[in-house]
Amino acid sequence: MQAIDKVAVIGAGVMGAGIAAQVANTGLPVVLLDIVPDGAKDRNVVASSALQKMLKTSPAPLMHPRNAKHIQVGNVEDHLQWLSDCDLVIEVVIEQLEIKQGLYRKIEQHRKPGSIVTSNTSTIPLAHLVEGLPKSFQRDFAITHFFNPPRYMRLLELVAGADTRPEAIAALRTFGDRLLGKSVVDCKDTPGFIANRIGILWLGAAVRFAFEIGLTVEEADAVIGKPMGIPKTGVFGLLDLVGIDLQPHVEQSMLATLPEGDLYREIHRPSTYIERMIEEGYIGRKGKGGFYRLNRSKGGKVKEARDLETGEYRPAVAPSLASVRAGRQGMRALVEHPDRGGRYAWRVLSHTLSYAAALVPQIADDVHAVDQAMKNGYAWKRGPFEMIDQLGPKWFAQQLAKDGLAVPPLLEQVGDGSFYRLEDDRLQYFGTDSAYHDVQRADGVLLLSDIKRGAERVAGNRSASLWDIGDEVLCLEFHSKMNSIDEGIVAMISKAIKIVPSKGYKALVIHNEGDNFSVGANIGLGLFAANIAAWLQITESVKQGQYAYKALKFAPFPVVGAPAGMALGGGCEVLLHCDALQAHAETYMGLVEVGVGLVPAWGGCKEMLLRWSNNPRHPKGPMPAVSKVFETVATATVAKSAEEAKSLLYLRPGDGITMNRDRLLAEAKAMALAMAKDYAPPEPRELQLPGSAGETAMTLVLNDFRRAGKATDHDVTVGKILAHVLAGGNTDPTAAVSEDKLLTLERNAIVSLLKTPQTLDRIEHMLETGKPLRN
Amino acid sequence: MKDVVLAGYARSPFHFASKGALVKVRPDDLASAVVKGLVERTGVNPDDIEDLALGCAFPEGEQGFNMARLVVLMAGLPISVAGVTINRFCGSSMQAIHMAAGAIQMGAGEAYICAGVESMSRVPMSGFNPMPNAALYQTMPEAYMSMGETAENVGREYNISREEQEMFALDSQQKAVAAQSDGRLAGEIVPIQANGSNIDADGCMRPDTSLEGLAGLKPAFDEKGTVTAGTASPLTDGAAATLVCTAEYAAANNLAPLARIASFAVSGCQPETMGLGPIFSSRKALERAGISAGDLNVVEINEAFATQSIASIRDLELDPSTVNIDGGAIAIGHPLGATGARITGKAAQVLQREGGRWALSTQCIGGGQGIATVLEAV
Repeated sequence: MQAIDKVAVIGAGVMGAGIAAQVANTGLPVVLLDIVPDGAKDRNVVASSALQKMLKTSPAPLMHPRNAKHIQVGNVEDHLQWLSDCDLVIEVVIEQLEIKQGLYRKIEQHRKPGSIVTSNTSTIPLAHLVEGLPKSFQRDFAITHFFNPPRYMRLLELVAGADTRPEAIAALRTFGDRLLGKSVVDCKDTPGFIANRIGILWLGAAVRFAFEIGLTVEEADAVIGKPMGIPKTGVFGLLDLVGIDLQPHVEQSMLATLPEGDLYREIHRPSTYIERMIEEGYIGRKGKGGFYRLNRSKGGKVKEARDLETGEYRPAVAPSLASVRAGRQGMRALVEHPDRGGRYAWRVLSHTLSYAAALVPQIADDVHAVDQAMKNGYAWKRGPFEMIDQLGPKWFAQQLAKDGLAVPPLLEQVGDGSFYRLEDDRLQYFGTDSAYHDVQRADGVLLLSDIKRGAERVAGNRSASLWDIGDEVLCLEFHSKMNSIDEGIVAMISKAIKIVPSKGYKALVIHNEGDNFSVGANIGLGLFAANIAAWLQITESVKQGQYAYKALKFAPFPVVGAPAGMALGGGCEVLLHCDALQAHAETYMGLVEVGVGLVPAWGGCKEMLLRWSNNPRHPKGPMPAVSKVFETVATATVAKSAEEAKSLLYLRPGDGITMNRDRLLAEAKAMALAMAKDYAPPEPRELQLPGSAGETAMTLVLNDFRRAGKATDHDVTVGKILAHVLAGGNTDPTAAVSEDKLLTLERNAIVSLLKTPQTLDRIEHMLETGKPLRN
Repeated sequence: MKDVVLAGYARSPFHFASKGALVKVRPDDLASAVVKGLVERTGVNPDDIEDLALGCAFPEGEQGFNMARLVVLMAGLPISVAGVTINRFCGSSMQAIHMAAGAIQMGAGEAYICAGVESMSRVPMSGFNPMPNAALYQTMPEAYMSMGETAENVGREYNISREEQEMFALDSQQKAVAAQSDGRLAGEIVPIQANGSNIDADGCMRPDTSLEGLAGLKPAFDEKGTVTAGTASPLTDGAAATLVCTAEYAAANNLAPLARIASFAVSGCQPETMGLGPIFSSRKALERAGISAGDLNVVEINEAFATQSIASIRDLELDPSTVNIDGGAIAIGHPLGATGARITGKAAQVLQREGGRWALSTQCIGGGQGIATVLEAV
């Protein structure tokens, strides 16, 4: 395999800088070059200011600010010789063929022989890009098309030219998949590749039909969003987000390259309404507003929507469409509904899905590639062919014909069948050869959903299940609502601890494929119990959670947590009790209990104290660990990446980080098996904590924060109770505090907080609005 | 009585803690570089030095052990030179001068190095293990009151508006920037090598300070208060050192005295208005020198906060044109343990430069104290 150990990115715009940042996130050195502006004093100013800007951008392109040090900034006039030790050069400059080709000629003079060169072009065919360039260049050239923002969007479209070396493509695929963590989809060299080809038609259709059928923007987005499994920005919200002014450029470049007779040419209509918006500066969130805006003129913050007839803004209203409600039963119910929402849904979907079906194998070898691209590039829950399966391919074909729309050959081919099926528990897709083929997973990819398909769970209840993931490893999966920790999960933890040794398993992995590992404890239950003053039951249920987590920690076999997405509160605490973690790079861990007026009470305070006390790089004495944990917990600090979680010790130095989520379970399992070889459970430890002196020190800080307006009265109340726990209660610095003593302190703390009306208000507010209450 | 003089003053550049150029410099390294510089610049024979008295407000971590003795060894002073680390919080290195002067009067040696250092980057304010006495806090919380809160208290008690504080801060910045650009500061600065670069100028000053900019800052300590980051001294890294000896010794050894130490004093006051400390200590010191505030030609008052500086200037009836002529701590910075040596050395230096007979250096001290030194031209 051709190694990629150093990368150059040329072009430091939003995409180029973002790609460089994602390379830096892997720890590899990356060179970022851009032009020298006329008369610039600092000749690297374009690249260096792009880097500075990224450090302030939210969501952050860099997983940790220190990753910036992997990026070396320069310019294309003075530093092209830096390419001589780069294994991959990614061009991300303006979409103009002459400029790109001019740059390629310069790159060719400086690059290392055999190094790979790629373009991030989204519109120019590869064949045009390499026309007239040396054969050696053509052999090393490919297109790597990233999506914005490159750190967060999972799709990487990979296009090989007629002469591209297969080893170069293999190296790019591995680099994109394993290092950058992308879902790499092979595309044909056609305009817009896969995702934008379909996505731009979808956007065009969705905008045009909303005007034609006479929907409001809120209605259109309500139909497009949840019922179709598309992010809730829908279509108009999405245009506001990406910038309405970009659309004409994208449309024109598509029109310039699409074949004659392409459906998009028919769908596309120049809109004077949108042209006027752009002229007047209503270009979306970065401008004066777009289809939506936040009106702050009257002191408050009013969300307004634009009337599609008059162009006036008016307060946004929650749409009420019977079709959207019907859509909860499935997409078929949505598109068959007679109201304008249903008609709209049908017109958008009929064009979009039939377009997708007509483009295979023209843009991709198979339907699965198309679905992967739309899911990972546009964040659709379901790809076009999965949607057609939901509607029923045959029914869909009939409806197309009824509407006078062309029925794509592939749809006729599939006939009564479906695009996906299960065969001997294997997922298969319908190929262009009319045969079914297994969906192939790359080497080293292990998905719980694949394991679960047709398998019997080892044990389970409503909230959690145990799965045999092979090689004598058991997987504990949460599947409660938002994976919140409840009695069922606690019970299943206890069960796993019994089953692993008794049924001959070697290790346990805690993992699920939800959007979020776990959003925390089910606080609704706590609120209910507090409202009926069931203090004994509350104490008992906290105790059960503590015991389950503690048993996990001291179990006679290794436990590896494999989180992705948010792992908050009780979800974070379960991970703190694992022997090791293999975390997805996009894991957001935090002890956020204070947000609902509580303190971590399932061993979270205790585990964090142990970690910081154990940190050799932290100052010694009774206070430093306590102060650090206090700072982290009292401010509900959430790590914005797995790497940041390491700085906060939510992750320990030896814990692993996986860039590609699809590889997480396999790597966690490998880690668990490696640990199982000579596994010895940890010994309980004792801590020397400061007692009343430490509590006083933290109280001083709280009072200062209150006075400075950085904390509310109830923040101070919660903070003081947290301080009492972290200081070890009424201990003396010369005495030792056991882990169990800390658990008792945590338990007492949570019960006393549940007795305050302000904490109950916070919980209620969180349950109702999903946002913390500052009282 | 012998005449005790200040016969030398040097300091490191002062830089913002946590983000400035000295973040990576250990405080003992910083102090020894400045002590070494002082010895070289004054030409004092190191064998004659009795003791190195080193002020430090949080003597733990890298500022721990007996840092003064270690600095003696690091600075290459003879093994015979002793070392004592002194803590009177912000008054620590002025206290070092006082202790040396007192010892000299007792005949306990002829020459002392009186220095101070604080790396507020590397040892946080309150230290790594703040462990207040819970019982004292219960009965007398002001004993542990934050400095910002005491500054608000002084502002309220003396009716000092936010605008008045901001005018004062702007004036301090402008005086410091002018002093820097006129080269009036360069002579006292010992360059420090850090990360391969030569740090030879102060880094805390903000030449672009404006009243509009200051007015836009949020209160830093009390949401309803008037004190902002712009009207408080910044957290700072730095070291300063002075040479204290008898006038006879200076004359015999061709040293150039800056000023005679005429008197000094310390005093306690209410912890919750600790910023008023200079009033009480200065009154005592002036009386001991047999002069009144009107006799002073040069005053260096540590600008911990604008409120307490304004209140002290007002109550002591100081002539503002004599105060902090080269700028004060709001602009230059306030590395706690180093400030006393800086402002006393500075007062002597400015007195010599500007002419006149009397100078005062004074500062407030957390916990409720003041310290003051009266100097006379030689």
